[in-house]
Amino acid sequence: MSQLSLKDRLGRLRGSPPAGATAPTAPAPSLAARLQRLTLGRARVETHSRSGGAALVEALGAVEVAPGVLRLERQFGARERHGQVALGPDGCASALAALDHGGPAPRVLEPLSGASLGRELLCLDTETSGLAGGTGTWAFVCGFLRGHAKGWTLRQYLLTRLDAEPAYLDAIAAELQPRALLISYNGRAFDIPLLTTRFRLAGLRDPFPDVPHLDLLQPVRRAYGRVWADCRLASVEQRLLGFVRQDDLPGAAAPAAWLDWLREGAVAPLAGVMRHNRWDLLSLAALLPRLGAVFADPLAHAADIRAIAAYHQSRGRTEQALDLLQSGRRRLTHAGLLELARLHRRRGDWEQARAIWEELDAADDATARTELAKYHEHRTRDLARALALARRLPPGPERDRRCARLGAKTR
Amino acid sequence: MNVFDSLTDTGARDVQRTVSGSPPERASLPLTRLRNHLLKGHRGRIVGATTQAARHARWCDLPAELAPALAAALRASGRERLYSHQSQAWELARTPRHLVVATPTASGKTLCYNLPVLDAVLSRGHKALYLFPTKALAQDQAAELMALSRAIQAAGGPGVKAFTFDGDTPGDARKAVRTRGDIVLSNPDMLHQAILPHHTKWAQFFEGLAYVVVDELHTYRGVFGSHVANVFRRLRRVCRFYGVQPTFLFTSATIANPAELAERLCGEPVVALTESGAPQGERHLLLWNPPVINPDLGIRASARSQTTRIARAATTLGLKSIIFARSRLMVEVITKYLKDVFDRDPRKPARVLAYRGGYLPSERRRAEQTMRDGAVDLVVSTSALELGVDIGALDVAILNGYPGTIAATWQRLGRAGRRLKPSLGVMVATSDALDQYMMRHPEFFFGASPEQARIHPDQLLILMEHVRCAAFELPFHDGESFGAEDLGEMLGYLRDEGVLQHQGGRWFWIADSYPANAVSLRSVAEGNFVVIETTEGAQRVIAEVDYSSAPGTLYEGAIYMIQSQPYQVERLDWIGRKAFVTRTRADYYTDAIDYTRLKILARFEGRALGQGATAQGEVHLVRRYPGYKKIRYYSHDNVGYGHIDLPDQEMHTTAVWWQIAPQALDRALPDRQQAIDGFLGAAYALHHIAALRAMAEIQDLGRSVGDAQGTWFAVVGNAGRGQLRGPDHQPLEPSAEPRFEPTLFLYDNYPGGVGLSAPLFDDAALLVRDALDLVTHCGCRSGCPACVGPVLQSDETLAVTPRAAAQRVLALLDAVTQPRAWESAADRSDVLSAG
Repeated sequence: MSQLSLKDRLGRLRGSPPAGATAPTAPAPSLAARLQRLTLGRARVETHSRSGGAALVEALGAVEVAPGVLRLERQFGARERHGQVALGPDGCASALAALDHGGPAPRVLEPLSGASLGRELLCLDTETSGLAGGTGTWAFVCGFLRGHAKGWTLRQYLLTRLDAEPAYLDAIAAELQPRALLISYNGRAFDIPLLTTRFRLAGLRDPFPDVPHLDLLQPVRRAYGRVWADCRLASVEQRLLGFVRQDDLPGAAAPAAWLDWLREGAVAPLAGVMRHNRWDLLSLAALLPRLGAVFADPLAHAADIRAIAAYHQSRGRTEQALDLLQSGRRRLTHAGLLELARLHRRRGDWEQARAIWEELDAADDATARTELAKYHEHRTRDLARALALARRLPPGPERDRRCARLGAKTR
Repeated sequence: MNVFDSLTDTGARDVQRTVSGSPPERASLPLTRLRNHLLKGHRGRIVGATTQAARHARWCDLPAELAPALAAALRASGRERLYSHQSQAWELARTPRHLVVATPTASGKTLCYNLPVLDAVLSRGHKALYLFPTKALAQDQAAELMALSRAIQAAGGPGVKAFTFDGDTPGDARKAVRTRGDIVLSNPDMLHQAILPHHTKWAQFFEGLAYVVVDELHTYRGVFGSHVANVFRRLRRVCRFYGVQPTFLFTSATIANPAELAERLCGEPVVALTESGAPQGERHLLLWNPPVINPDLGIRASARSQTTRIARAATTLGLKSIIFARSRLMVEVITKYLKDVFDRDPRKPARVLAYRGGYLPSERRRAEQTMRDGAVDLVVSTSALELGVDIGALDVAILNGYPGTIAATWQRLGRAGRRLKPSLGVMVATSDALDQYMMRHPEFFFGASPEQARIHPDQLLILMEHVRCAAFELPFHDGESFGAEDLGEMLGYLRDEGVLQHQGGRWFWIADSYPANAVSLRSVAEGNFVVIETTEGAQRVIAEVDYSSAPGTLYEGAIYMIQSQPYQVERLDWIGRKAFVTRTRADYYTDAIDYTRLKILARFEGRALGQGATAQGEVHLVRRYPGYKKIRYYSHDNVGYGHIDLPDQEMHTTAVWWQIAPQALDRALPDRQQAIDGFLGAAYALHHIAALRAMAEIQDLGRSVGDAQGTWFAVVGNAGRGQLRGPDHQPLEPSAEPRFEPTLFLYDNYPGGVGLSAPLFDDAALLVRDALDLVTHCGCRSGCPACVGPVLQSDETLAVTPRAAAQRVLALLDAVTQPRAWESAADRSDVLSAG
């Protein structure tokens, strides 16, 4: 048994019928013969020759900063446009400021507030060998777009040899100066944990815990999660940036492109990956001022004003929330109107609240009717009216209790 | 220390002497009365009785080096001393040595690992991973550790954080488990699919990992054990990456080879502790065989009726009992019968409680608490309570049917009689072959365990899958090893498949996949089938069936049972691995007709045996399911047939086989039809005996009778007689076959085999003798399900009954009695008369 090749044995175990009659006494066939009998094995995949590396460097216009690690660098001026958005100089202090008190400052940024203005914006995006997660997934491209006074600097790192990963990670760590503010799109859940895993696997210190990080997916979700069908970056580009990708290599094709390079030395698909990554980064840089504008004026940008108002409230900015709901009143759903009424009531502005409840009651909204019944019971003391409202509530213990109490009071 | 009387019906007097000779203790009066009542009133049914004398505790002082808060917590809870085996475990675990504690139920095994682990957590900030075969056990242990942690805090120590980590752990809690847990309680499946492939997230945990605790070691056998041994290879590899070498602490029920099994699992020498220092009350055990009601067909009174009867007697005497049944359905049936007796008044609290898998955790907790409080008199349970869930003290354990292994039998019996209280166990046999065999061999229960738990971690398919997973977790270096096969060759295979790349002396994972998700620890071949319910339009996955059993259970028309609810298979998508079923109210079940042909590919070893030979080797198996029978419930009438249209299933596996010299067979059974019946009956008996020895489920092994070349094979036909069928499954006339050399196969029913065949070959002579014994001493006339398989009424008139034929075949193979077989033994007269 042990004379058989591994492939042959696996094939037999998996139930492929033996090609020849292997009688108990027949001599074991040669290894070559057994390999030929194989029904299971796939075509042997050749790894490309070492010489492909030079071709890749040339084709991409990259430099090899260490064996197996390529870097592509490119400058973008402040007046460069991405879709309909001008990238602007530096980390757009104005955009950050808008983010800061306009609203979407996620956990990390809020405590930084003032300090964050002085930080250097560093957009990050990776391309990976798959979405499966776990220790077997590589981030083979790591791109950075750094803002500065004159514009933006793009630096993309590409891993071209698997055994060069430590040098590749060193280069990435060097980009992450502690004064940077990382900007990503879904980086909190995807890119950063993946890179952290790679640093740990390589036995290197993980640089990410020291760098503050703003994941733009969260504010986008807040503003458009209930408005758009999805919040993918492509949707953002289409709806907020007016940017249309031409001949893009879809992100899902990135793993195959890298594998084609590793196995066969195919250069062209990798160029597509680098461009895709560049566009992702430029969209991040462009999204920042756009998001600032969205939060400054949600109505003008067709954002979800109820969600943004709720966010203002959670930050203690009740006035701002009220103003927003009030100005967008015509677009509010029942839930939004009830929220607006609640804010009016909390300020003691009963008439405003009552007007909304009555409008909704006319539209047969049970919650509004309950509010109105409470209002008349406790506020106007018009018990008969409260009881009449309560009787029209949907059947259930809530209605019964209310009717019973009001009935007792009126008697 | 065992006082054992094995009783035949004529020897019942001895029992009475034993009973009257033991002075009744005052505290155990009801128990003694029950035992006497059973022994006197039903002596014909009791085929074995034994009493284990009470045993006093052997104590040792608490170790002086114990962390002070831990020692204080133990003292505060009344534990001033340790049992001797706990003390030994402490010393070994600290050395540190890998160890397995294999002492009886309720001997305080948990403390054997909790003590060194808690000490390591408190004194050195170490971490531990606890693995349990089920989620429920992990949750029980977490609760126990939490209580200990509170006691430690009360004694001025820091708290110990013990968290469960399983499929139910919510996503946002997982990070806390990974980063803050001192002790993580999980199961092998989670280790395999969620922890190891994400080990970098667990970096902190691994860096402090000092102990790996594996509870219920004896459940890690066969396919599951073979997988887990490889998961542990991966675990140790990841641990080396983080610079730690954890110590393995195992606990096990009593089996014959705990140290060997543990060593095979963790890959290093393991010390076994088998002497318990815990006290034990006097233990009585009765083996109870229901009376024969149809001697011709070998049918006995139902075990269920006997079980409820004993339970009623116990309850009437004021004793608390637990009843173990083998299926959820039987639990419900017995519970109903007992509730009809004891819980007729709905105003009173229930005295009977059912406990089985499938309850919600909160229900389970409530039931456990009720049991611990002693608020019920009767608990009816499946194997769910066999493993270490704490349910308090009970007096009587009644087993409705042999649980399948002796280890499980003792675990269940051990549920009665905690501490020094006397207890009574009654094992009630069913009509199954194994039950009846055990009834005739009570020494299995009382002697050293005959059960060898076997695993085969280097089974090529299993090993390959884990090399794949390991390569995903960390790149392999040239020169590294993993299992007994050539790792370089395996990695080369994976490279050719395109999932690995070799660069700079290392093998890197490059595929876009997560291999652990494709590997189930409970099966060998990949590609499980899902069962989808389509009743009322909706589609809902209700079960998963592994690849090898799918064709025999999910064919179109099959009745598929889940929790005794029948579903009918409407459509089978073989390529897509899906079976679409709808609820049905059919009053029949279906049984696939199985045509299995075997061909010997390679003979590894062989030897002469009796007037024949035995051998083991590799076989090629072709299985076809040509159709199925519809069998009505209760009456077991055949009410119809259906066709099955599925491709032939092929498999390479290992087998052990027996052959008889043609002349000898011709002399003993000149009629070929009789010879075929004899081989089929012998195969039935050997199959059951072998499952017992191999500690396997019946379906882990397969049996077949054929000519070893794949030209013909024998099946039991519709008429109940053996039939020869040719390569295309056409019926053959036995007498027309030019060459007639029947071969009896027992094969390992997993692709590639999981190591069951080699030990069976080693024990081949013993198996034949046991099988011969089973057939010879069966109480039936011409054959029955307890010996050679069911026979038809008409067979009883045959000159040579199926039973006699099987007996002759086995006698020809029996090495010891062989020389004398033809000239002696009155009980072999029927063999002689035909010769």
